[in-house]
Amino acid sequence: MPDEQAVLNPTTGWILLAIFSVLWIGLGVYWGRKNKSFEDHALAGRNVGLALASATAAATWITSNTTMLAPQFALQLGIWGMLAYSTASFGLFLFAPIAKRIRKLMPNGYTSGDFMRLRYGRVAWGIFLVFTLFYSLTWLVSMAMAGGIVLNALAGIPYVYGMSVILAVCVLYTMRGGLYAVIGTDFIQSVIIIVGIVIAGFAVLSKVSMAEIHTNLTANSPALLDVLFPAALIAIFNNLLFGLGEVFHNNVWWSRAFAFREGVGQRAFIIAGLVWFPIPIAAGFVALASGALGVAVPSADMVGPLVIANVLGSVGAIAIFIVVFCSLASSIDSLLAATSDLITEDIYRRIARPTAKPAELKNAAQMITLALGIGAWAVCLPRIGTLASVLFFAGPLVASMIWPIVTGLYWKRASRLGAISAMVLGSGIGLWSYFSIGWYVASLIAAMVSMVCVLLFAAFKPEEFQWQELQEGDQ
Amino acid sequence: MSFSSGFLTALVYLALIWCAGSSIALLALLWAEWKEGRLW
Repeated sequence: MPDEQAVLNPTTGWILLAIFSVLWIGLGVYWGRKNKSFEDHALAGRNVGLALASATAAATWITSNTTMLAPQFALQLGIWGMLAYSTASFGLFLFAPIAKRIRKLMPNGYTSGDFMRLRYGRVAWGIFLVFTLFYSLTWLVSMAMAGGIVLNALAGIPYVYGMSVILAVCVLYTMRGGLYAVIGTDFIQSVIIIVGIVIAGFAVLSKVSMAEIHTNLTANSPALLDVLFPAALIAIFNNLLFGLGEVFHNNVWWSRAFAFREGVGQRAFIIAGLVWFPIPIAAGFVALASGALGVAVPSADMVGPLVIANVLGSVGAIAIFIVVFCSLASSIDSLLAATSDLITEDIYRRIARPTAKPAELKNAAQMITLALGIGAWAVCLPRIGTLASVLFFAGPLVASMIWPIVTGLYWKRASRLGAISAMVLGSGIGLWSYFSIGWYVASLIAAMVSMVCVLLFAAFKPEEFQWQELQEGDQ
Repeated sequence: MSFSSGFLTALVYLALIWCAGSSIALLALLWAEWKEGRLW
């Protein structure tokens, strides 16, 4: 995306970046004062209330993809495209009872890795760690890279500067404030994002009616209104499955299940799903107005900002910049925190330093956050365009973990061999189908193979797992 | 078969009002928990 498409001048962009950077870091330092141990740092004292819990779950799921890609989905896949994107909220809805179950079975747990180790043993745990770290690090890098690209496209800020600033800001406040800072800033970010989307949406509707948009689409892009748009229907399925796999396995969500006050998790994830569901539609429909408004769209991924800047002028450009910056920060901070906690708990504490004290673990988590930030920055520096596609490549890995996790939480018969074969064969055959058939079947096949493995081993070589084995004492 | 203008209008207005309502609900929830000292 060339700088000429920027909807905001670089000076305004830098001023906004500076204001929000100071705000997030300041809040991180302020909330960081509550952190005394690793438990405080990683899980915000395990006492997060419903308001902050609901907002953090919703905000983490609102990435720059939601605010930038939802309009692109609408532009390319029409009404079904927006609805397809909304189905990603089902991951939050379905995780609600799981969050309750996790809190009940593992009152002293820290990470999703803890569950895999205690439930399925060290081999399954090792495979899980490889898969989840690969996915989380790829997601982190793709988000940081998206940050640089989007800030460049919106305000002409050079890619390297934009990417470096957003990564540095998130690393600083996550390091200092831990999950307290992540959750606190998530609340502010989620409200800013939603209010920004609502204002932009009504501003577009004040310029052009839905009837005019519909007439224009009927004349120029009738496929976007088609009830049976095959590509869009496939997108629904793919988004749904990807959402489930991501939410079920990733420590970003598990750490929240452990951090929310007892009795809060289930309600918080349902509220978060309800908050998230309409956002792709509210953010996406502006793309459908581009034709009726006569906005030229040289690249589909810039359609949202271009339409909003056209309708609201510089105020709209500022609003979209703030919304996108908040969307990026709310996901990058969560990924940094959850991934550093996973490495601290599952590798540093369980393998390298079993006798480490809480204060040492907290320091280790901070250093690992810094290392993750520096590592992601180094990978993002050359701006390798194909790297984002690696995230799609991770789809089969993620999908192969759905069944071992869900059955492991609810079913005593689910076995170690079932989980190991589900992850290895599911991801292997899923990846094979990714290359030999297509991306759109890879996650589905991985999930199917994984399901067959889990069910076969549960039927023919079952275990009688004792749930109390998950209640590992806090050290 | 195409989605009608009425459906599109209802979908978009519902989504925008839903978003506005959810931001107000989150703020109200925050206020209520803050008053009781139960934020975290």
